[in-house]
Amino acid sequence: MLHTLIPADADDADLYLQRSSSESLSLEEGRVKHVSASTAQGIGARVILGDVSGHAYTDRFETDALIEAAQAARAIAQSGQRTQPIAIQPLHASHDLYVAKNPMQQVDMVQRKALLEEIDRLARSLDPRVKQVFASISASFSQIHIIRMDGAHLSDDRPLVRLNVSVVVEGDGQRESGGAGGGGRFDLTQMITNNDAETLTREAVRLALLNLEAKSAPAGSMPVVLGSGWPGILLHEAVGHGLEGDFNRKGSSVFAGKMGQRVAAQGVTVVDDGTIAHRRGSLNFDDEGTPTQHNVLIEDGILVGYMQDRQNARLMGVAPTGNGRRESYADPIQPRMTNTFMLAGQSTPEDILASLDDGIYAVNFGGGQVDITSGKFVFTTSEAYYVKNGEIQYPVKNATLMGLGHEALQKISMIGNDLALDPGVGTCGKGGQSVPVGVGMPTIRIDALTVGGTEA
Amino acid sequence: MSTHLTTIAHQLIELAQKAGASHADALSILDSGDSIQVRHGKLESIEHEDSRGIGLRAFVETTKGLAFASASSSDVSEQGLKDLAQQVIHMARISEPDPDAMPPEGADHPSSIEIAAWQQKHPHQPHGWNTVQAQEAALRCEEAALHYSDKISNSEGANASFGQTAMAYAASDGFTAEYERASSSLSISVIAGEGEGMQRDYAYSRSRSAEKLRDANEIGKEAAERTLRMLGASGLDSRNCNVMFEPRVATSLLGHLASAINGRSILQKHSFLSDALNQTIFPNFIQISDDPDHVDGMGNRLFDGEGTRCKARNIIEDGKLTTFLTDRYAAKRLGMTPTGHARRGLTGDTGIGSSNLILHAGDLTPDAMLHEMKHGILVTELMGFGVNGVTGDYSRGAAGFLIENGIITRPIQGFTIAGNLHQMFANITHIGSDLTWFGSTAVPSIAMANMTLAGQ
Repeated sequence: MLHTLIPADADDADLYLQRSSSESLSLEEGRVKHVSASTAQGIGARVILGDVSGHAYTDRFETDALIEAAQAARAIAQSGQRTQPIAIQPLHASHDLYVAKNPMQQVDMVQRKALLEEIDRLARSLDPRVKQVFASISASFSQIHIIRMDGAHLSDDRPLVRLNVSVVVEGDGQRESGGAGGGGRFDLTQMITNNDAETLTREAVRLALLNLEAKSAPAGSMPVVLGSGWPGILLHEAVGHGLEGDFNRKGSSVFAGKMGQRVAAQGVTVVDDGTIAHRRGSLNFDDEGTPTQHNVLIEDGILVGYMQDRQNARLMGVAPTGNGRRESYADPIQPRMTNTFMLAGQSTPEDILASLDDGIYAVNFGGGQVDITSGKFVFTTSEAYYVKNGEIQYPVKNATLMGLGHEALQKISMIGNDLALDPGVGTCGKGGQSVPVGVGMPTIRIDALTVGGTEA
Repeated sequence: MSTHLTTIAHQLIELAQKAGASHADALSILDSGDSIQVRHGKLESIEHEDSRGIGLRAFVETTKGLAFASASSSDVSEQGLKDLAQQVIHMARISEPDPDAMPPEGADHPSSIEIAAWQQKHPHQPHGWNTVQAQEAALRCEEAALHYSDKISNSEGANASFGQTAMAYAASDGFTAEYERASSSLSISVIAGEGEGMQRDYAYSRSRSAEKLRDANEIGKEAAERTLRMLGASGLDSRNCNVMFEPRVATSLLGHLASAINGRSILQKHSFLSDALNQTIFPNFIQISDDPDHVDGMGNRLFDGEGTRCKARNIIEDGKLTTFLTDRYAAKRLGMTPTGHARRGLTGDTGIGSSNLILHAGDLTPDAMLHEMKHGILVTELMGFGVNGVTGDYSRGAAGFLIENGIITRPIQGFTIAGNLHQMFANITHIGSDLTWFGSTAVPSIAMANMTLAGQ
């Protein structure tokens, strides 16, 4: 039946069937009093003709609803229907990056509640200045089927879990907060075995207390050392979005037309890799059925690759890279990142810090944002120190760091040997859609970034 | 159609009560709409949405008080409703009771006469578009932008969207209400300049009905003008200076205020204004009100997410904070009367949000404000998330114009502005006469003294 819904001249068409469920428990004031769940199911139908796409969805798994959706999606086409039936191929095996089990069935709600209560007790026992503890645990399970015009039929079961802890501390009449989180595509039992709850709780309390002592950050352009792991959000914002296929096909990215040119300092190699087992940004295949890959974006400072979905790859005459993603059946496909990180270099983190005469050592960050056209990006520190003559002086308050993506990467002068991936907390927003992503980086030194403190 | 929604909401409550709920409330929503994207004079995509959602919140009695849980789903079959009710009751029995829990009972509901009068005053307006009309408007909008100047070098496309939401709310205390709301929007984003000198900006209009949108040509021209004026933007040195926020970015300052006076944040001492009730936090010429029945606002409502009657009230009177925003729970804990600011999603506990938030206009035109300010910067764009709600510390990326001797001299970018919201609010020097609506927020230009600018 599928073929009759597809226009004769379509370049591509697919159906995306999804059933997803999630549960979330959160604790505040010592009680797990917010318990919620959601389930969603639906079918997205898509038709592509050249650079035009039609997308429609329905949440009813019924023939008439599906036909209606497919007709809405094919409204972009003038031509008649295909006459050639589609030979659906047998289910296609791909990577095996996560256990296809519902994480909510492995550790029941009562156990999850107990875990949150344990976090509350621990946080309050760590320091009397801890006044409020917020902890939440969420788990989701998404089962998808993709059926493509070329007959490919794929299915995937995607687990995702996340644990978050934040605390408010009070000292000398001053209040501050600190938080930590972690997760990935695995079972909650793994988080319990690894004692993640304790690690995250200690980290949240440490950060909040550190913030109580933080002084105002300096203001102006200065050298900055970025710590390993989550600070890789720099790459996500400064170059990642700018290397997504759609922006480059349309020429709206500052990196458009720069293939083969130097865009970063020597030694800088940036990859997007959706094939790392259990990572938050990993997928066995993307939401168009393309297996995820280890894609090199920048090699030794030279731009060598963009991230592509099927439509943009076809229009740019390259192969899809396994980066076609959608938040759910209700959203259109976009080229998106998976896990984006910089490969390790030669320097030790100690040497990199020691090289800093007068600047900021930014160990951890909150969120960031980029304007892919001008290249402007920002991200905000959550743990940072003022450094003088290679020595840490004092912690500084949260400050926004700002730069231009195409300039900042050229100013990377040292790369550490300590590549680390983030703890599994990244969510990326683009065009109103949120998808889980990972980032990573070794410790690096950037010779000049704008630090948005208040001490001019 | 909407009668059917009410029936579903009633069924959910009945099922929850059968399964053991002492109290419950339910939502049933039907969304439909289309989004048309055009780029370079031709259709780029059509997205068609047709979705349903149901949400149930149920309370169970325990020896330690009421406990509750909530869940959402898109399955409105008889079995689907039953499953949802069972799931919520199961979760509520795991959830920890809260002695202050506020079940849906005893709220200050509007009477059926008031509801009828409201519906007469605010009749449902259809969005008034079909896909052909929407596409035509988007094409006109883009053409106006592209033809405005040769320096407009590229388009990210124009988007015309329209749709409607029908919603029913019912509670176990017998309160029932349903309404339909249409919406339409037209937006455009264009690029000026080439390569690393590219700039991008946008313009848009949103309204309930398409005929009330601003003219497509006018929106296109605005996007082109906004983009062109930033061409050649450069950096500037760090300094302390006066900052004027044009209305589009001034809305975010009002947003920070609304978050800081959110009753739930106040309860958790998670706000820099926790202790500021009845204190003067702005200069005495500042008036801010929340008006749930304003002819220009998109946030009009007769009752809030708990069915509590809404009314217009001052939030800042002659610079003094006169109220926090509360739902029934926060009000009870804070010893206040509920202000009618509960907000409900399909799942989760009630949240808190303003209706139409208005910072009342002053006497000065924006030009006169620049003249008064003499030296400083005009901010037209803000980036990033560098606002700490607990301390009020503020540090964000910005772009705009340098002001010298009371006039705009050149576009500037690549800098941050920093301060503390407490001081920023107190340091406001002038309010413009250019009150501008953005959906449910209305603000004029705001000028303030003494922010730290970090630049080159």
